[in-house]
Parts: sequence; structure tokens; C-alpha cells
Amino acid sequence: MTRRESALRIARRGAVVTGVALLGLVGIYIRALMFTPIERFQGPAQKIFYVHAPMAWAALLAFLVTGVLSLLYLIMRDRKLDLIASSSAEVGVAFSLVMLTTGPLWGKPVWGTWWSWDARLTSTLFIFLLFVGYLVLRGALHDPEVRARFSAVMGVMALALVPFIHVTVYWFRTLHPEPVLMKPERPGLPGVMLVTLLSSVAVCTVLYIGFLLLRYALTVLQDLKEEEMVDGVS
Amino acid sequence: MASPLSPILAIAAKDLLVERRTKTAFFSSLVFALLVLTILYFARDKTAVGDLDLAPGALWVTFTFAGMLGLNRAFALEMGNRAIDGVRLTPASATEIFLGKVLGSLIFVGLVELTAVPVFVLFYDVPIWRQLPLLLLVIALATVGFVSVGTLFSAMVVRTRFSEVMLPVLLLPFLFPPVVAAVQLTRSLLANRPLSEVSGWLSLLAGFVIVFSTFSLFLFEAILEE
Amino acid sequence: MPQAEPAVTVQEVSRRFGHRWVLRQVSLEVAPGEAVLLVGGNGAGKTTLLRVVSGLLRPNKGSVKLGGAVGMVAHHTMMYDALTARENLTFFARLHGLSIRQRIDGLLQRMGLAHVGDERIGTFSRGMLQRLAIARALMHEPKVLLLDEPLTGLDDAASRTVIDVLGELEQRAVGLMVATHQLVELVGTAHRVGYMVNGRLAAIEPCAGDAGQVVERYRELASGG
Repeated sequence: MTRRESALRIARRGAVVTGVALLGLVGIYIRALMFTPIERFQGPAQKIFYVHAPMAWAALLAFLVTGVLSLLYLIMRDRKLDLIASSSAEVGVAFSLVMLTTGPLWGKPVWGTWWSWDARLTSTLFIFLLFVGYLVLRGALHDPEVRARFSAVMGVMALALVPFIHVTVYWFRTLHPEPVLMKPERPGLPGVMLVTLLSSVAVCTVLYIGFLLLRYALTVLQDLKEEEMVDGVS
Repeated sequence: MASPLSPILAIAAKDLLVERRTKTAFFSSLVFALLVLTILYFARDKTAVGDLDLAPGALWVTFTFAGMLGLNRAFALEMGNRAIDGVRLTPASATEIFLGKVLGSLIFVGLVELTAVPVFVLFYDVPIWRQLPLLLLVIALATVGFVSVGTLFSAMVVRTRFSEVMLPVLLLPFLFPPVVAAVQLTRSLLANRPLSEVSGWLSLLAGFVIVFSTFSLFLFEAILEE
Repeated sequence: MPQAEPAVTVQEVSRRFGHRWVLRQVSLEVAPGEAVLLVGGNGAGKTTLLRVVSGLLRPNKGSVKLGGAVGMVAHHTMMYDALTARENLTFFARLHGLSIRQRIDGLLQRMGLAHVGDERIGTFSRGMLQRLAIARALMHEPKVLLLDEPLTGLDDAASRTVIDVLGELEQRAVGLMVATHQLVELVGTAHRVGYMVNGRLAAIEPCAGDAGQVVERYRELASGG
């Protein structure tokens, strides 16, 4: 099978997976809005949580994929790894942006502030910033091999950084605790809510995979087009 | 017989000699540091925030931004005539080149910091003498961490068109752990608190420096090769 | 008599930038004391080949083996404008692990630069820079010297100096690879000529010392002959 056919096959698979995930997402919305009880202290606004938290998880997953594949690229120098890593970064940027915008929408009614510097939100903010840095760096480098190598270095460094960010914020918060009424992140949720949450996590994971397949297929096709252009010239 | 340290010292010495001849980066960084310290001082509300509360943050923001000015020059000077290729043609290893560059930048940034500290003491009226050795240790540790990662990143961005902007964009997220730790430690030391209170932050800072200096050292070769 | 080990062995070297293959399966050997000219149009891969041989570039495929240390004189001086000639040479000497004060003086003398040894090279003319670059490339007594368009922008006197140096190096069993457009001056020192066309080494043949012949042969090969 040629690279082109292979890429198109991946794109088709990606479309199917994404379609399934989007249906799943609709299902989650319905379940969350209609069939899951309203949380006692936070009211209906808490339901944003069912989208917000899994999106954060998907962003983290995207980040881990980019980081690990960056490390593998530096060892194996296989271009495919670089293409998947950068696709994962682009998908991850989108997910973390959703997370960062839904966070305040949830936070304001529940905590009274648009933003709270809790460990998870702040870590995701940094993941977002690191993704942006990674993509900006890629955009500024034109030689594909240099771009792959340099962004792989960035990916590995970013992967190593996240635990430090988390610890820093966590310690800072234990020194300066914010007045929070509830700790909604803890899975001490009653059964029905937990099921909604976990289903949402599963759906968001599948959505990530679908988007990743689509983006990767697009990247490969772009790459092929560039190759054809170069061959045409020389 | 040349010592094994020789390439590292040679590279650092050469960087400092070039800087001494061109004189651009050092004075810019210094003036920048003084300006930032001044502006932050006047930007505060004297009735709401005490000097001792504001001072550590102001100091580290100053060091961070002035330091970044110094980092860019480390590889910018190599690009002119592709001088770095001349270095790559010698037996000097990627590790030696990295350490030489880091050493040169440490001295550069260190000089800026040492000049900024007395001004800082003057402006913010902080009692620095009580815990001076520990304070210097904190400054030294944070600077090593910041310069190691910064050297790796400046080697990367020097190949891009907007390197002066790209370096902060890439580097600042990495400065979050060491700077927060350094600010906490500085505040505690200036308030004459016992070190045991903030030993956690010290371990975080030390851990960061060890992990990221090592990573930067090993990853540098991938940046240098072509 | 056993054959001396080649100064340079290039085996099936290929190199690409992005999607474009700039070198395709290039193989050649350079014996100690032999001078090989590389001729070819712009973009034929001469500079890339020299950079791969020097170790500055990694080949995507194939390998390079060197019979000893390598020195290079390229289009960029690869030195620091803000430093003096002496300071530049001293710096690179230190990186080679040499402490050779006297030798540096001798080198500057030989290349006719003794009178500007303590001036910043940012003020040097092209000819002076080229001579200094040669001095730097030879400091560590390499077994291989690579030169990329060494005579470009040089006046007759400077060119003469360079050609003389090349002759001396051949005597001292240093392997030379010279990429050039300026055939008339260099064809006399060359033993063989390598013809590069579109990233391939189309042919590598003994040099009869006639620039016209070389140009003819190149045209032949470039048009697919």
C-alpha cells in the first residue's frame, strides 16, 4: 500500500472513531443534564465538571504521548514518531483550551472566582503553554529534520517539567490555602455521578484518539504533497 | 599537557573576551535589571504591601528577565561566521562545549546579579546581612538551573528568526518551579526564619537543578549535531 | 610495499535536506598526499560533500572514514570577528589540546599575517581571512585538508600563497579535497578531478593539468554523456 493510501485509510478510521466519540459525547451531555442528579452544594453549574475534568485528562494524555514519542524519536530517529507527536500536540492544545475555558465557567458559580490556582488547573495551564511553545518552535524551524529534532528535545524537557509544576503548585497551595467549600475533584462521588464522570473520561479518550488519527493522516498527506513538489522541481 | 578542563575553560574565557570587546549585552542586562527593580518598586501600593513582602518577588523577576537577555548572546556570537562549526571541528565534545557555554553564561549572569543585589538592598531596604551565605546559595542554585536550561534553549532558538522573543516563550514555563522556590526561600531568609521551615523548597530547587542540568547536558548533543 | 591507508574513504554517502537528496551514493577515496578537485555546478553537492567528510554533517546513508585529523577552510571563516588573529588561533589551539605559542607565531609568519596578528579579524580583507583560516586549519597538523572555493575573492598574491601551501601539503602526505570553480589556477596541483552532477559523483578521473579538458569533460557528464 502506498503512503497515500495508508494515510487515507487512517483518515477514514479516524473519522469513524471521532464520529463514535462525538455521539458518545452527546450521550454524556444528555446523561449529565437529565439523568444525573444535581450536586447539593454546587448546583447545576457542577455539571460542567463532567466535560471539564475529562478534557483535562485528554489534554494530559495528549501531552504524555507527545513527550514519550519525542523521547523515542531522539533514540530511533523515525520521522513517523515526530509526525504523531506533533499531531498529538495540536490536538492537545485544543483540549487544554477547552479545559481552560470551561474551568472558569465552572469556577465562578462554585467558588466565586473565575480562576483558582489549584494544582490541576495550573498544571493544565502550563501544559497549554508548553504545547504552544512546542508548536511555535516548530513553526519557526523550516528544515524538517531540524524541526523534528529540536521539538523532540522540547517535548522531552516539557515532559520532565510537569511533575515539578504540580509539586510547586501543590506546596504553594498548602502554604496559602484558598477558601474552598468543597473538593469536587475527589472521586468520593456517589455512584451515578461517578459513572457519568468515568464514561465521560472514556469518551474523551476515544475523542482524542479520533482527532489524533485525523490530524496525523492530514500531516502525512501534507508531507506527501511537499515531497511531490520537491521531486517535481529536481 | 593540557588539563581535561581546558576546552571548557577556553570556551568560557573566549565568550567573556568577546563580550568584553563588544560590550553590548552586559550593560544592557544591567540597566534592564535596575529599571525593572525601580519600576516594580514604584508600582506597589505602599500602604497595602510591605517592602519585605514585595522584595523577594521583585528580585527574582528582575533576575529572570535580565538573565534572559544574557542567555541569548551565548549562541548569537557563534552564528556570525559559523564560528560554532569551527569549534565542532575540534576534538571538543558536545558536553565540553555545553559546559563551557554554561560557565561563560554563569559568570555573565552572576556579575549582573551581584551588581543588582546591592541596588536591591538599597531600594527595598532589606536586611540582607542576617542570612547572606544562605541567600547567596539560593541565588547560585537558582541561577545554575536557569542558565543550564536557558543555554540549551538558546542553542535551539538562535536558529529561528525571532530568537529574542522565542527564548522567553520557551524558557519561562521552566522557570516557574525554581523561581517560586527561590522566592519562598528568599522571603523566609530575609525574615530570618529558620531554614528547616523551608527545607522543602530547598529540596525542590536542588532537585530541579540536578534533574534539568543533567537533561540539558545530555540533550545538547542533539541540538549541536547536523 | 603495503598500500598506505587512505586519507579519506567515502562509502555510498547520501544526504538529504527535507525531501531533497543533495548527495546520492557518493563513493571515493583520497590517498595521502593526493589532491582531488571537486567540480560541479551550484547545488551539485560539493559543499555538502565536504561538510559530510569533515564531520560537520551526518550522512543519512553510508559512511566516511578519515585516516587522521581533518582541517577545513570554508566559505565562512568559522572564527570570531571580535577577537584578534592571535586570539583566534590560540583559542582553537586550546581546543585541540595544543599549547603552541611559538607555532602560532610561525604560522602567522608563513601566511604573511605576522604584522596584523594583534588586530581584530573583523577588519581583515577576504584574502587575509582566507590565509588565517588556512593557518587555523593546519595548526593541529591534520592528515586531511578540505577546502571549499579557497580562491574566491583573493588577489593574485594571496592565491599564490594558497597554491604554494597546497603544494607543500601534498609533499607532506596530506590528503586534499578542493571544491572549486577556478580551474585554471588549481588544475596544476590536482591529481584527480571528481565531477559532481546533481548530487552524484558522475566520474572521478586523473587530471592532465588542462583546465579546458576538465570543462569539456564536465559538460559531457552534465548533459548525461
